[in-house]
Amino acid sequence: MTSTVDDVDTDTTPWYRRDRFLDVVGLLARLFLGVVLVVAGAVKVGHPLTSKRAVQAYQVMPDDLAAWIGLALPFLEIVLGVLLVLGLFTRPVAALSTLLMAVFVVGIAQAWARGLTIDCGCFGGGGEIGADETKYPQEIARDASFAAAGAWLWWRPQSLAGLDRILFGH
Amino acid sequence: MAKNSTKAKGKAASNARQAKIQAAQRSSGAGANKIVVATVVVVVAIIAVVGGVIWMETSKKNQITGGGNAVPPGVSELGAGYPAFSDATVVDGAPTVDLYEDFQCPACKGFEDQLGPTIEDLASSGRIELVYHIKNFLDDNLGNTWSTKAGSAAFCAADAGKFQEFHDQVYANQPTEGDGFTDEQLRGFAETSGITGDALTTWQECYDADKYADYVNSVEEQSFQDEVTGTPTVMIDGEMTDLASIGTPELFTQAVENATK
Repeated sequence: MTSTVDDVDTDTTPWYRRDRFLDVVGLLARLFLGVVLVVAGAVKVGHPLTSKRAVQAYQVMPDDLAAWIGLALPFLEIVLGVLLVLGLFTRPVAALSTLLMAVFVVGIAQAWARGLTIDCGCFGGGGEIGADETKYPQEIARDASFAAAGAWLWWRPQSLAGLDRILFGH
Repeated sequence: MAKNSTKAKGKAASNARQAKIQAAQRSSGAGANKIVVATVVVVVAIIAVVGGVIWMETSKKNQITGGGNAVPPGVSELGAGYPAFSDATVVDGAPTVDLYEDFQCPACKGFEDQLGPTIEDLASSGRIELVYHIKNFLDDNLGNTWSTKAGSAAFCAADAGKFQEFHDQVYANQPTEGDGFTDEQLRGFAETSGITGDALTTWQECYDADKYADYVNSVEEQSFQDEVTGTPTVMIDGEMTDLASIGTPELFTQAVENATK
């Protein structure tokens, strides 16, 4: 499969279209999004109350449900992040990560639109803050950049040094 | 006939392509069964998430308990705030001011530095009924137990009639956020608040037993249910106020006068 594609890669293909280069982009996207997810999850572990309240502060779900999601999110983020760093099942994992980031962006945007004054709690912390302390545009831009890395891998999951290639040969 | 031959050709080509793909997969070392690996990964992921949730919910490592149903003097039930200056003669129509604070919260220190003397003056002269709600959510956030410890210590001081003095000591000497207090420091606050002799021994026993830890936990829970999610929060006659609108002694006094019936 790979060799077939490589055959097409003649000298006339510009460098930025060559598989080797695109595979490096894939590797960087995997490491960027993967490390971000692992860090975002790890800093929340061991802070159950803060994690629950960070989700409850968005006021989009009943408090009980938000509490469970708050407890589960750190571990979900770590699992997705580790799989991305390993490059295992890159496409489905990237798709889930992209959707997760999209949900975060929507959550932050609705909080902003409704006039809530909260910290996104993206990397720990969270909850209500002063009106002059909110950072909604920055938080949305940051999460959008994570979603972009995920979307790239969703579209083109091939990358250098991933378990997908070692185990399944693609 | 021609039709059939085209079909056959197409099939042959497709077979050849299939074989090529399989060969490519073999040559690049495709030994693993994707479905087996996927199943293992999904199972491990589910165990990690569910196990993590259960562990995080049950460990609660930043929470301390103690004292059971013990409530500070003047407090009727768990979850209720502590009425300060309860010996002051309240002026007719004076509003109730509910003040929600966490002893480790830097914004609360800023608030106390700015408005503490004004609030105490209003409360001691009976122009407001002051109720403290001492919260401890920062314990979880900061990964220590000093909000609860300091809270329990303050109510142990309340047993000796020195809550306000102790409270003021805590904010005057609040450490950098995250550093927490020390047992010795809190004992020092008790001494500076004027608790001495047998009363100090009683304070120490109360403190060591975390006598009011459960009370502080109950206030945290109750205030969250009352939609107090940040500190400091000020309610005047049950109305949550915008801190900017009461941010100076003059503004605060004005707000209290406006609320006086």
